Amino acid sequence: MLSSAQQQHQQPFSFPREYFFPPFFTRQTNLTTHHAQLVKWSALVLAYCRHHRIFKLFLSYSGAVAPIYSSSTTPSKTPTDQQDPSEPGELFNNRKINRRLSLADIREVIDFLRKDGRAEYIYKSNGTTTTNMDTTAAPPPDGGGDVVWIFWRTPEEWAAVIEAWVEETGQRGSVLTLYELTQGEATRGTEFHGLDSDLLQKALATVVKRGKAQIFGQEDSQGVKFF
Amino acid sequence: MFLKNIDLTTALRPSYLPDEDLLFVQDNVGLYEGKYKLPNHQNGQVYLTSHRICYVDKAEPRRHSVAIDLKDVERYEFYAGFLKSSAKITLIPKASKRSSLQSRSPGLGSIPSRSGNGTPITSSQRTDSPYRAPSVEQPSASTATWVCTICSFSNPVPSNFDPSTATAHTPLPPCLACGIKPTLAHVLKATISNATSRQPGGGGSGQPALYTPLPIRPRPLSELSAAQVNTTPPPQAVSDNSTPRPSSDPDASFECPRCTFLNHPSLLSCEICGAPLISHDLPSQLTQSSSSQSGRRTEADSPGPFLNPSLSSISSQGVDSNTAAENVKLSFRGGGDKIFYERLKGSMTQRKWLLHGAPPIPKSSPRSDDSLPTATGTMGNDPSLPAGGGDRTNRRAGIAGLEHRNKTMRRNNELVIGSAFEDLEALMASAKEIVALAENFARQVKTGSGPGGNENAALLAESASQLGLIATKDIVGNSSSGGGDSLYLSELARTLAEFLSDDARGVLKRAGGIMSLVDLWAVFNRARGGVELVSPADFEKAANLWEKLGLPVRLRTFKSGVKVVQGSDRTDEHTVKALLGWLRDLHEIPPDLEGTERAVTWDWRMFGRGVTARDAAERFGWSIGVAEEELEMAEEKGVLCREESIEGLTFWENFIDTGEGKRYKKETESERITRALKESGFL
Repeated sequence: MLSSAQQQHQQPFSFPREYFFPPFFTRQTNLTTHHAQLVKWSALVLAYCRHHRIFKLFLSYSGAVAPIYSSSTTPSKTPTDQQDPSEPGELFNNRKINRRLSLADIREVIDFLRKDGRAEYIYKSNGTTTTNMDTTAAPPPDGGGDVVWIFWRTPEEWAAVIEAWVEETGQRGSVLTLYELTQGEATRGTEFHGLDSDLLQKALATVVKRGKAQIFGQEDSQGVKFF
Repeated sequence: MFLKNIDLTTALRPSYLPDEDLLFVQDNVGLYEGKYKLPNHQNGQVYLTSHRICYVDKAEPRRHSVAIDLKDVERYEFYAGFLKSSAKITLIPKASKRSSLQSRSPGLGSIPSRSGNGTPITSSQRTDSPYRAPSVEQPSASTATWVCTICSFSNPVPSNFDPSTATAHTPLPPCLACGIKPTLAHVLKATISNATSRQPGGGGSGQPALYTPLPIRPRPLSELSAAQVNTTPPPQAVSDNSTPRPSSDPDASFECPRCTFLNHPSLLSCEICGAPLISHDLPSQLTQSSSSQSGRRTEADSPGPFLNPSLSSISSQGVDSNTAAENVKLSFRGGGDKIFYERLKGSMTQRKWLLHGAPPIPKSSPRSDDSLPTATGTMGNDPSLPAGGGDRTNRRAGIAGLEHRNKTMRRNNELVIGSAFEDLEALMASAKEIVALAENFARQVKTGSGPGGNENAALLAESASQLGLIATKDIVGNSSSGGGDSLYLSELARTLAEFLSDDARGVLKRAGGIMSLVDLWAVFNRARGGVELVSPADFEKAANLWEKLGLPVRLRTFKSGVKVVQGSDRTDEHTVKALLGWLRDLHEIPPDLEGTERAVTWDWRMFGRGVTARDAAERFGWSIGVAEEELEMAEEKGVLCREESIEGLTFWENFIDTGEGKRYKKETESERITRALKESGFL
């Protein structure tokens, strides 16, 4: 069975021109150029993550970056990563021209994204967001601050998408499990199908905050009800 | 005109004639013509050279700069200044100049005859003061004499002896009494001291009229050159101020210029001391012309001051407005007058301008070597004679002959140099020869060795041409405006600018139009040939003056503090354009990764390739440091971007910033506002 993510996955991501420009991987000293560089990089990161439906980025030690899929609930996706060996670390490491972005520069890009509200560090100490991290594939032991949310859609935006779907399908007032939302047959074809559960929690939390929904249940069998 | 317009160099200094040497520079000088200040010529720098006095206006140098040829200067006088009036030097032009100048009243051309009141040129004057004339004449009319070091007999300097052209090979007659030959330096000194001792007497003495030299020389140059060739009255040629002293009055006795014995007028040499009695009969043509001039002159001029006290008193008192209009005065408002006067005196004595037209240095025949040390000069040593003898000894065949010739030539050179340094005066006299020798050496070096030799030769030739052409601290007078060095510095700045913009030398061009200040300092000091080196501090100060003086070079300071020198027309935009053009060209040429096994991985047709500072240095002829700075400057302007890789830092065309960066400023501004709002608690 192929998820929508996997379907998208099949056509390769078309990198922008700059990606093949060697100086793009060097931090520019000219402030204006540097700003342009950051803008381009963050656009690239967002586009890349959107294309591959990456919600968490893992900034590895070496500067190579492994995209982390929302695989906690669908472990079957990990093999698909391994099927495509070029993909992990591809984003910040252009093998074709043999250039890579250093970790410090990656962090700078992430910081730039954070200013825009398009990224957020996932701290290990923060138990609420990293509950499922231990189960994800191959995080190095000292991954604190190494994993980043990439909000190519912010939690608010996700919430709006889900709300719209609930409205559309007339399920307002009924209780939906979170599993049902992201993995259920009914949501197949929607954008939030296969959404990272932590991100879903974040998104739903914003709705709850607004008083438009309520979350019930235990850790692994939560349900949500939209008003 | 007495005052001529002159050409200025790029550095707004007078462009010198081939053999011209700069002697002195003084700023804050004004020009007067007669009593009146010349408009637009009131504040400028005066350059005293061996040939001219150049005035370069400070405000409008291109329009109001003039020069006076020293050869046109009859006399010069010094006025020390009194109370508020500054020290002045008055330059009185020669007769021919003046008469040609005053076209409207040709009678004025006879001013010399008036000034020469003591000179019995015209009959009227002669009858006026027949007895006065000799007493006036006495000090000036005497020919130069040299006192024999052996028997202390005072010998006349030979007629064809010209101190400015005399060399060690000039034949000198032996002492008339004891027959010992004098040394060249000895005779030179005698001639020069004779010439100098008379000149200052004219202006400075209490009775100027009595000691004024009376140079009646309507055709000064032609006559002089003629005298060199002719065997006319000998002493005439020796010093140009020695005046023909005609006394056609048969009754008048002729006073010997040397021993003052009153000889019979028909005698040609003194009865007592044997000194030649000169100018007995002037050419009738000359006498006539001057008498006719004087006739007209009485009409044009006021008859009163006919027997004028002196020219200087006229000009200073303004009695005679005509002469007043003739004189040019330099008013030294900023001091420096005394040194200027001294140097002017020197250059008037040396009369370097004669050198210009002088015959080439006589090729010394090997035979004359033997007679060289004891200055040549018996009658048999006439330069025309020994040619055959020289040839004879020279006629050796083959390599031995060549070797011999080389050897003799070397010995000859040695002697020339040796004798040149014997005495300073002698050195000055043989300066031309020495320069020729230096050039000769340069040529030998050039032909002698390979590429390294060429550099040496250029250096040597450079140093030869540099002799004296550069402002040194003692050339430049004290500055009026505060710190004593400022005139020196501005002169140095000008010299530097000339040095840089000199096309023949092409210092800047060779360095790709830009060179670091340190490099320039080294090159410049090397070009000075090891003398009068410039200290780094002075050098930097001078370089900082370029902009202020409006010179065609500029000093640029890079971000890193590196100072470079550049033509002022070369701006950053130029450099950037050149860099970009080059990088665009690289889109067409596949990058050459020689030695590396890696293939070109990027799309070089789209991006070109990265260039290192070394590449840029090679491409534009810059030094590496300059190339680095230029590339960083272009990066700073956002035209280039950098790449740091294992090969080092390379620069690329900026494909990163394609418009995004432009929003940067705006965004930072809004960011700043939001931050400020956040901090103040509104958000």
